Amino acid sequence: MAIIEVSNLKKSFGQLDVLKQITFNVNKNDVVAVIGPSGSGKSTMLRSLVHLEEINGGSITVSGEPLVKEGVYSKPQEVKRITSKMGMVFQHFNLFPHLTVKENLELPPRLVKKESPEDIQKRSSELLGKIGLADRASAYPANLSGGQKQRVAIARALMMNPEILLFDEPTSALDPELTGEVLEVMKALAEEQMTMIVVTHEMGFAREVANKVMFMDNGEIIESGHPSELFTNPKNERTKAFLTRSLK
Amino acid sequence: MSFDYITSILGPMLEGAQMTVLLFIIAIIASIPLGFLLTLAVKSDIKPLSLLAEGYIYVMRGTPLLLQLLFICFGLPMIPGIGEYLVLDRFVAACLGFVLNYAAYFAEIFRGGLLAIDKGQYEASKVLGLNKWQTTTRIILPQMFRVALPAVANESVTLVKDTALLYAVAVPELLHFAQTAVNRDFTIVPFFVAGLIYLMMTLVLTLFFKGIERKFKFE
Ligand SMILES: Nc1ncnc2c1ncn2[C@@H]1O[C@H](COP(=O)(O)OP(=O)(O)OP(=O)(O)O)[C@@H](O)[C@H]1O
Ligand SMILES: [Mg+2]
Repeated sequence: MAIIEVSNLKKSFGQLDVLKQITFNVNKNDVVAVIGPSGSGKSTMLRSLVHLEEINGGSITVSGEPLVKEGVYSKPQEVKRITSKMGMVFQHFNLFPHLTVKENLELPPRLVKKESPEDIQKRSSELLGKIGLADRASAYPANLSGGQKQRVAIARALMMNPEILLFDEPTSALDPELTGEVLEVMKALAEEQMTMIVVTHEMGFAREVANKVMFMDNGEIIESGHPSELFTNPKNERTKAFLTRSLK
Repeated sequence: MSFDYITSILGPMLEGAQMTVLLFIIAIIASIPLGFLLTLAVKSDIKPLSLLAEGYIYVMRGTPLLLQLLFICFGLPMIPGIGEYLVLDRFVAACLGFVLNYAAYFAEIFRGGLLAIDKGQYEASKVLGLNKWQTTTRIILPQMFRVALPAVANESVTLVKDTALLYAVAVPELLHFAQTAVNRDFTIVPFFVAGLIYLMMTLVLTLFFKGIERKFKFE
């Protein structure tokens, strides 16, 4: 069952066509790894899904509801409701530096969700336990390591109970020795059947955790398929070239 | 230089210092919010409003405060037709001048604070479902004030020293009493006393802002 349907998505910045007629589906419980060279439009694609970018054509449907239909966006409150089904984790964390870890987790649902403060607190301490940072609840982001920050950012996104979680290179800003702890959390989410789209350079993660890999180049999805297939037996020359470069 | 002499001039000088402190308090309390409103006006999507605010800031920062004070005290009353209604009490006029001038500086400081905020903060807020008002009040402004704090502290110290410009529009303040005593008693001691009083004031202010900065360190 498709939870995200994208068809003929077009996006340009001025004269530059960054996404050219992109079409793909994401099924419930999928873990989709998006790979491709720098500038191929991976981030723009992800950002379009949560309406951080306004697209120029095509359709995006999220669990059956149209965010954009043939280039026409739904009403603003509809757009807001539909995008709220998705959470996003950024490369540079984007934690709120003036709030403690606990406040980072609890402020957004307090402002946005109709939930009792007790429920919110309960969920935040559960999530902090889950990411292994229960003892850092009152720390400020400035006092956390990169890996800890990204784990908090994941927990913050989860606080909103999203149906789908998007990751834009969640480990690219981290020192190599800190990527593991973040990938572990993502792996645990995948095991809990979280639907995820992950833009990543971590081929190991894509191979091991994803059930679908999409290779993008120059604003197009060149090839997609199960990692066992795409990594071992790529059909397209560009995919081959890219994989040779990044797996060497 | 006798201890008695210093105590004898200290009374009137501290009285003058009251004027200094009063002006400082009025100027800071009024110009910070006004400066903040100016920042919002500059940032506004309403083009005429933002142009007006930018022009205002340009003029206020591009001309000497002394000129502005003289204009309000002595220039306004000379405007044909309406001048007679614009004769203000000197101290009131000075306060007005300080507030109008400092608001422009604070507006620039706050604008700089806004520029320092990463666009990722807006994006994270949006994806988490915060509306524009919530994003501004809960995420952006607290960070803006934090970033602006050292510059605000610096500007406040400058304001303490700028109060000496009251001298030029003949409002009796600290410097006025010092100068009077120097002329009358043929001694420069009053200047040192005045200097010490200014130092005391800036010291208190500096410690105050250090305290605030420590409290809002977010570490
Ligand atoms: N706001 C923008 N304005 C203009 N051009 C942009 C903007 N954002 C992205 N681009 C351009 O769009 C193209 C795709 O960018 P995008 O960030 O989506 O690529 P990417 O695949 O995520 O690359 P990377 O791996 O480096 O993150 C690039 O050529 C980039 O320069
Ligand atoms: Mg990118």
